[in-house]
Amino acid sequence: MVWPAVSLVLLLSVFPLVFSLWVLFVEYDFSVSNDHPWVGLDNFNDNLIDPVWWNSVKVTAILALSAVAVEFILGLLLALAMLRPFRGRRILMVLVVIPLFISPVVVGGFWDLFLRQPIGPANQIATWVLPGGPVTTNFTEDGLWPYISVVMADAWQWTPFMFVVMLAGLSAIPNDVYEAAEIDGAKPRQSFFFVTLPLLLPIMLVAITFRLIDAVKLFDIIYTLTRGGPGTQTYTTSYYLYYQGFERFHLGQGTAGAWMFMIVLSVISFWLVRRLLKPVEA
Amino acid sequence: MPDDDVLSFGEHGSEDAFDRRELLKKSGRLAAAGAVAGPLLMSAGEALAAGSAAVTDPIAATAVAQAKQYKGITLTTIRETGPQAADDKLFGGPRWKALTGINVETIEGAMNEVYTKQVAEHVAKSGKIDVVEALGGWIPDFADRGVIVPIDSYIAKYKAQATIKDIHPAYRSLAQYKGKTYGFFDDGDAWMLYYRKDVFANGKLRAAYRAKYGKSLQVPRTWDEMTQVSQFITDQMAPKIYGQGHARALGNPGNYFYFMQAFRSFGGQFFNPTTMAATINGPAGVKAMNVILKELKASPPGSEKFDFLTMWTTWLQGKTAMLYTWPPTGRISENYAQRDKAFSFLPKSKIVGKVGYAVVPGKNGWFNAVVRCVSADSENQDAAYLFTQWDTSPSVSLQRVMLPYSLRDPYRISHFKSKKYGSLWPAAPQYLKGLNNAANTGVVELVMTGAADYSTALDRAMTAMYSGKDVQGTLDDLAKEWDAITKRTGVDTARASYANFLKLTGSTKRTTAEAKGIDVKI
Repeated sequence: MVWPAVSLVLLLSVFPLVFSLWVLFVEYDFSVSNDHPWVGLDNFNDNLIDPVWWNSVKVTAILALSAVAVEFILGLLLALAMLRPFRGRRILMVLVVIPLFISPVVVGGFWDLFLRQPIGPANQIATWVLPGGPVTTNFTEDGLWPYISVVMADAWQWTPFMFVVMLAGLSAIPNDVYEAAEIDGAKPRQSFFFVTLPLLLPIMLVAITFRLIDAVKLFDIIYTLTRGGPGTQTYTTSYYLYYQGFERFHLGQGTAGAWMFMIVLSVISFWLVRRLLKPVEA
Repeated sequence: MPDDDVLSFGEHGSEDAFDRRELLKKSGRLAAAGAVAGPLLMSAGEALAAGSAAVTDPIAATAVAQAKQYKGITLTTIRETGPQAADDKLFGGPRWKALTGINVETIEGAMNEVYTKQVAEHVAKSGKIDVVEALGGWIPDFADRGVIVPIDSYIAKYKAQATIKDIHPAYRSLAQYKGKTYGFFDDGDAWMLYYRKDVFANGKLRAAYRAKYGKSLQVPRTWDEMTQVSQFITDQMAPKIYGQGHARALGNPGNYFYFMQAFRSFGGQFFNPTTMAATINGPAGVKAMNVILKELKASPPGSEKFDFLTMWTTWLQGKTAMLYTWPPTGRISENYAQRDKAFSFLPKSKIVGKVGYAVVPGKNGWFNAVVRCVSADSENQDAAYLFTQWDTSPSVSLQRVMLPYSLRDPYRISHFKSKKYGSLWPAAPQYLKGLNNAANTGVVELVMTGAADYSTALDRAMTAMYSGKDVQGTLDDLAKEWDAITKRTGVDTARASYANFLKLTGSTKRTTAEAKGIDVKI
């Protein structure tokens, strides 16, 4: 009875995995040959000697950490602001959460249109808001702006996730804890730092862990917003692997890179989960 | 009836003007001609020379007559999304079906996806694509990897040799690789300089230019003149009009062609032909890149991210004075293309009648090939071949290059001499002459194994330099990246492939059609 399901699983997951293990050690490169001779560890080496690979690793780390930090801070502030009821709170919450349901490709396209000179309104808005002369920044080309633009787009989409998780965590803290703190003479700021944050910490760590694991795979927004540019400045590792494997058909190199990336991610994820979830176990 | 009219299906081939009754009449006439044509066919060369008989295109007629045996099958083509695909979907496909009973389906994708999709289908051996679309630079890899098949035996079998002789000499060899023919050339993609005649005739501007430089304002003929005149116009007229404004966005479709044309007009060679070391970082490379950076300064803000749509929109709105790029610019400038709703993605031109044509500064403009090939994985290779023979035949291709919505442009000597095309708008004869001259003096895209990798690496390096990276250092890094690509391909393989490239017309400024003495005078 279960064999059709088992066959499907074998066909769709186990076979590609095993196939990729073979591809790792042979030359599987459209631009070189139709044959697939054994090349040992050359596919791994092709990545390791490529400066673009190392740059992509660095960019991935910088973007993931920056984006998650921004999302965490904004999400927490929003959750604190929305914790107590006020007029229009429900509508505002719905509006805040909407980006979460938009495809990342659309998010990248939207930010591209928003930031792009001369058609995007970003420069005009900045000119209205900021003192001094007209703003003429090319947000996806100039200086550090390509990084900032990617972080902005990612944060716009994923801050709502942090917000929802933080709000759930804050709502779960019982009122009597605050009442006890108040009786002990704690001021609001002291209540926040010595009551709210410690109690919220486990949920914060879970949210950060989940977002970090997701953020290091950043691809869609890069694909639509910067195409990895200027040059290779915003190549993340996922984008680099896509480029090698599916644009240039260096499938051996791409597969080796994907395995290396997966192993590194697995180790980091394992460490994060073990380390960050420790307080929960305690 | 002039030879232009063979297989004509309505005024200018426009869908709006499509007349079903006329189609059926002409289909019947063509079918009859085809049936007679088979055994009694005069040589294609004689037929072309004969010029103006009632049905004088035996290349098309033979293809139709022979393809009828495959009635009911479906051929799948692949085309770039939009006007390129519309060519098959609105023109070639329906007409081929009416003439032969063979269905044509078209897969669409962005240009880079056209490459990846075809390779992916080949790797998967799906047999989904029958007619392969190849840029010239893809042909070596496609041929060596067995994505496409040589068509010499088909050409001989169906007596289609004359269809190649009518192609402009600059383009003729681009479907050839290692002595074999891998498809039919299908698009005259030679760059010209398009300039605003009204801007260059502006009295105040001319006086100011003379006052500043002590000479009269002229359409630039060298790269130094181009940067100087562009900057001058920008300084005088921006933000109303900028000197120029090209598409410089990364990968859409890229920047490498800007560099490759200027680089070679400065005498640059991509590799040392003996060692295959990349030589792109030499003086010619630095000079070419500095020209492009100067051009950027004379361009509208944000042009580093312009795609072709933005570039053409800016031009059509009259905000730039010069543009060197692909041929549709001539047609869209005169609102010829925008008459069709399939081309509604571009605004109406505000510069109708104001555009002049010249050779790209430095004389060596870029040109590339689009070749229709037969897939090695197709189960209907004979029918796929016959479709390409018909679709690219002198008469049908003329119809296609005149379609308002198509992005196919003149590439045959008969196209350049076509009176019918020349009557499409007042300056069309000058446009055709300009395109012919551009092919005479142009330099061809890089056609060799790994061309896509080399081009992408160059594209990335250029956008890095746009954002302020040092020119010499970036070109040095690029040369190392090119060397790594060559090493991956294999130095011997790359050397043989590059040697093959150097034999092509237009591989360097010393091998253009004009330099070889095989140019076409119109």
